[in-house]
Amino acid sequence: MRFLKKKFYEYYLKPDIIFPSRIDRREFAFLSFSDTMMRRHISFPTRDRLLYYLRINAPAHAYYSSAYYRRPDAATMQEKEWMGADLIFDLDADHIPGAFESGYENALRMVKKEMKKLLDFLLEDFGFDKNKMHVFFSGGRGYHCHVFDRRVIELGSGERREIVDYITARGLDMDSVIVEKEIFADGYSIKKVEIMPSLPSWRGRIARGIIEFLKEIKSMEREDAIKKMMELEGIGRKIAESIYDSLDEERMKRIEEGMIDQLSAYKRLIKPLAKKLAVSLHSSTDEPVTADIKRLIRLPGSLHGKTGLKVEKVDIDAIDEFEPLRDAIAFGDEIVEIEVKKPFSIEMNEERYELKKGRARVPEYVAVFAVARGFAEG
Amino acid sequence: MDLHVIARYPFLEEAREWVKSEAVSIEEVLNEAVYDRARERAMERVKQAVEKGIIKPYPCVEESDCVMEIFSYPIARMIVAAVESDFLIRRYALAEAKKAYETLKNEDASFINFMLEKFGISMHDGKIHFTDYLKYAPTWHSKWKLVNRIMERGYIRLEKNEMARLLQEAIRKKIQDELFYLFAPPEVRKIFGELINRLRAKTVVKEDKKYEGEESMVYFPPCIKSLISAARNGINIPHVGRFTLVTFLNAVGMPIDDIVSLFRSSPDFNEEKTRYQIEHITGKISGTIYSVPKCATIRTWGLCNPDELCRKVSHPMIYYRIKRGKNEVPKEKVL
Repeated sequence: MRFLKKKFYEYYLKPDIIFPSRIDRREFAFLSFSDTMMRRHISFPTRDRLLYYLRINAPAHAYYSSAYYRRPDAATMQEKEWMGADLIFDLDADHIPGAFESGYENALRMVKKEMKKLLDFLLEDFGFDKNKMHVFFSGGRGYHCHVFDRRVIELGSGERREIVDYITARGLDMDSVIVEKEIFADGYSIKKVEIMPSLPSWRGRIARGIIEFLKEIKSMEREDAIKKMMELEGIGRKIAESIYDSLDEERMKRIEEGMIDQLSAYKRLIKPLAKKLAVSLHSSTDEPVTADIKRLIRLPGSLHGKTGLKVEKVDIDAIDEFEPLRDAIAFGDEIVEIEVKKPFSIEMNEERYELKKGRARVPEYVAVFAVARGFAEG
Repeated sequence: MDLHVIARYPFLEEAREWVKSEAVSIEEVLNEAVYDRARERAMERVKQAVEKGIIKPYPCVEESDCVMEIFSYPIARMIVAAVESDFLIRRYALAEAKKAYETLKNEDASFINFMLEKFGISMHDGKIHFTDYLKYAPTWHSKWKLVNRIMERGYIRLEKNEMARLLQEAIRKKIQDELFYLFAPPEVRKIFGELINRLRAKTVVKEDKKYEGEESMVYFPPCIKSLISAARNGINIPHVGRFTLVTFLNAVGMPIDDIVSLFRSSPDFNEEKTRYQIEHITGKISGTIYSVPKCATIRTWGLCNPDELCRKVSHPMIYYRIKRGKNEVPKEKVL
């Protein structure tokens, strides 16, 4: 622990903090390596005072409030007086079932995919300005997106919950995304479903999702296609077979134009596809994160005490290229010696380290990560 | 603006302006025979709100009908305020808003637009921004949930009657918020005493008396808080201070025994005398319940030490009600 603390002190001599706006209205909170209780209700009138605090205390974790308060250092919420809050989305690997089964690096990749989905919703459907959004790697197991558009600051909890429900498709009325039509021909009535791929919002998303999915299915070998369909919830072999076998050129063309017949089988696709298109934002306890208007979030540019990685800003246009284990490294590559207690494997800065029990000589950033994760001692 | 329009939407600034320009005093409206019809209609407004949940439109044929209809609205508000019941305020505000909706949905697009502007909502090609939508949409209905709307780059297209529905909610909020800050002149209690008492018996019991011991004290206005701490620390409080404190604590439902023991540390505490005085003020002996003095009075007594919220209210009970209404404190989380 001495090693880690020393390294954190070194970092905070010259940290890369990205300061939140209106710093004097924010509550700050810190957790040191020795404390078990968080130090809360701290406020800083200026950026320099915050930097000074970080330099002196070198906390293991640093947070600030997404909310703006009249008196951020007051002890109770009543006295603090809430004035507004940024809109925050927290995507964490914990929220994605099975994310950790294939390791830390892969879990982070899965979260990044969710973040890309989220960004598409925020830009296309909600129309937020890219300049009024920041994406951060949390330093731990996920990504955060901050929206500081003036119009969302005063939204209350119920209103924010509607935003969460939108991007997670919760409460999406499946009948509202399609239009059922009854067509009479030669004395028969045929039921058809109309989908509208050119529409914005969920209606268009689902329509495009169905078309894309069916195109992919059509291009696949029969057995593979059926298997792929059966991965979706509520699709059994029989339905999968009937969809694949009926999907000839002409039908595919009609579907691309927005007309789906033989609706009972195709309708089954809507719900599971909506689930795939939605963002996984809910933790196992199913608590919506964004709707909370009184949260603490990691300070951008501070260190995460359980990884030694930095809360790092991600360029939204270059999110594909972002590699947390390369781009969020806060320490240098000077070789140091550590005592490995638990064997582990990690790829950092584009190099793989396979460490066995015992003494090992590694770059400083690997050492910090290993010690912070509890795999080694400094 | 046309008098007929003002009569349909008497909560508008334009209505207030018109009433002002008529230069009729509150006394006249409350007492003069000319305004009998306005007072009748005012009582009808409140009664319909309670009984039916909606106020029926008033046939305005001639200009004088419009005038009565317009004057009936501020009178009805005073009656509602005099009852001092959160429940009634909510129910009345909703009933007025529903009444407005019934006519709004038949207005033309430019009028709807004008109304939207009144509430700070701007419309672009029949679309409004989702933040405005969320403020007023009844999202507990599946059809109104944001996820089920067509939204493009932050904007949502709405039908005219949907705009009217949003406006209903905006109007309800406006009327309700105004009523929470409104304090009725004592005369209203005399003139509409019977109706007020009947409404009070129906609605008040459940709420203001919801005293939760020390818990409730965080919602007290600063003047009352300082009086309590003075009493507890044995600092001698002038008569007017005790009067203010006792009427307030009684109004929020603190049991008399608790009020008595609050004065126990006073240098000249005499249980019997204190109890007698308190029982006198709270109506147990005299039969008259003294009401809590308003802010202006407290100020002239030199007991006022206002905070931010105080600047917006004119009565300590309104401060208490507003503060208590906002008291839900969600759990905090750490990301």
